[in-house]
Amino acid sequence: MNWFTDRHFFLLAVAFYGASTVYSVFLWRKGFRRDDWVNYFLIVAGVALHTVAMFKRGLTLHSCPVNNLYEATTFLLWALGLACLVYSLLPRFKFLCAFTAPVLFTVGVFALMPSLDPPHGPKPDFSNWLRSLHAATILQSYGAFGLAAVAAGMFLMQQHNLKFHKLRAVLSLLPSIQRLELITLRLTLVGFVLFTVGLVTGQQLPRPEGKPYFSDPKVVWSALLWLVYLELIIARLFFGRSTRRFTIGVAVAFVFLLLTFWVTNLYSGLHHP
Amino acid sequence: MSVVVIGLSHRTSPVEMRERFAFAEAKIPDALKSLRDSGIADEAVIVSTCNRVEIFAATPLESAKAFAELKKFLISHHACDGALGDELYSLTEPQSLHHLFKVACGLDSMVLGETEILGQLKAAYDLALQHGHTGARLNKAFQRAFNAAKHVRTHTNIQRGSVSVASVAVELAEKIFSSLGDREVLVIGAGDTSEKTARALLSRGAKSIIVANRSLDRAQALAGELGGRAVSFDDWAGEFEKVDIVISSTAAPHHILDRAKLEPLMKARRQRPLLLIDIAVPRDIDPEVNFLENVYLYNVDDLQGIAADYLKLRQEEIVRCEAIIAEKVKPLLAAKSSADFADARRLDFSHLRKSAQSAD
Repeated sequence: MNWFTDRHFFLLAVAFYGASTVYSVFLWRKGFRRDDWVNYFLIVAGVALHTVAMFKRGLTLHSCPVNNLYEATTFLLWALGLACLVYSLLPRFKFLCAFTAPVLFTVGVFALMPSLDPPHGPKPDFSNWLRSLHAATILQSYGAFGLAAVAAGMFLMQQHNLKFHKLRAVLSLLPSIQRLELITLRLTLVGFVLFTVGLVTGQQLPRPEGKPYFSDPKVVWSALLWLVYLELIIARLFFGRSTRRFTIGVAVAFVFLLLTFWVTNLYSGLHHP
Repeated sequence: MSVVVIGLSHRTSPVEMRERFAFAEAKIPDALKSLRDSGIADEAVIVSTCNRVEIFAATPLESAKAFAELKKFLISHHACDGALGDELYSLTEPQSLHHLFKVACGLDSMVLGETEILGQLKAAYDLALQHGHTGARLNKAFQRAFNAAKHVRTHTNIQRGSVSVASVAVELAEKIFSSLGDREVLVIGAGDTSEKTARALLSRGAKSIIVANRSLDRAQALAGELGGRAVSFDDWAGEFEKVDIVISSTAAPHHILDRAKLEPLMKARRQRPLLLIDIAVPRDIDPEVNFLENVYLYNVDDLQGIAADYLKLRQEEIVRCEAIIAEKVKPLLAAKSSADFADARRLDFSHLRKSAQSAD
């Protein structure tokens, strides 16, 4: 079985995410009326294979597998998939999987690109616990932001249906918009706390000589992202920003994160010494 | 012995006719006893609700004679001397069993797919059972009908959705608010539909009701009935900060709530969601308010449209329900034919025995 590497397991996981995406399209077309577990179990199978893939890679490296873009992306997706499975157990939240599956699938396909996973040198880059903690908390925060964006998408869809008197607003088995808004806010807060912890631990790490810290693209990008989420949270909690604007902000912030995450990583001297 | 049914329902007769033939619950056991004592039926169940009066009977009589006797019984029991013609329907097997199953499943109800009839049918059966007026035929038929109703409920969408304005309003509220438990409802104008909607919201757990009406006496009377409080019509806007759901049904010839009036009120509410249900004609609330953030406005046409769509969905399920019923009735009819065959064989043997005895 040595020929069956962790990447093969991840490929299978992405195939399950793909199957779940296809099934989600049917559910979407039916207006989320059928309450079944198919999508949930497809994501369960995907996350299980995904866990095996990460476990195998971690065993090979003897550390948390977050050393290159492939590993960082798979970790992010794993956190997102796992959080989705947990939240889907809440009443009327089973369809969260249908909204998360397309993100897991598209980003998963992207992560499989061979250039994102160059062979490791003799020593893993993340060998001490502080580095592992930094990478793990940052990537988990991305997972929480991702799930918040998914809940925000569900909110915006359901709010649109209710505003424009669509029958599917009442037919669909989705949670109330007030509940969706609460979940979005809570996940954003969780993500923000994890992100802050990740940034603080990252600041404590020893820096490679000759590499600037405050002008590093990834550090600047992270600080910008932190400020964006801080603004979203403060505006919502203390200045009464409308739910719609808040949820649009959460969704846009995550799209920005997904689109720029790889670029800043590639140009970061600290993350690619 | 076959199962027959005779009766009248909302499909065949007006309420004036149905009420003349309705059975008071206390008098049903005596009616069942006289049916059996007269020899018309060996087993009987009387179903008497606001929408139907039906006698289900397992009778040894030939069906035409049984129907004539049952009709005579109905007329004499209610002392009605008027003509009873097309309003009365009579069905024999297998249609009588199909009808029983359809009634249990709510397919013959005024509101298609409603579940109240199943409870009423169970109560009618229990009453007959307690007084010993049922036997093997009707016990089996009713129990199978209840079983089929359960099956239909779980395997089809016949009971899905709300088909009245009041229940659609409740469903919408549940799609907006995480719970109705801490929601306050403001009723502006104490009309019949607004009262029904308010009652439906209260039954689903709404916290309290505030009633505003041009006549304060009427507002106080309705608030008293609903366990809420009344406010003067001029003061209803002052309640907006607290309420989450507004039901409006005044007779005002113009909008009583428009965007300019609602905008500052929404700011005072700190943008909490607000469900506005406008069931007045002409409308009380300017449609423009729906463009405000966190405001969800539904008028009577929107609500009736949703109810009609739900009804259409239920109607699409009828074919599936009837297929299930046909499957469930089949073993009942098969059991009956094998019992009839055994009875026939018994008759043949007794005939043979008699011939043998005479030969001896």
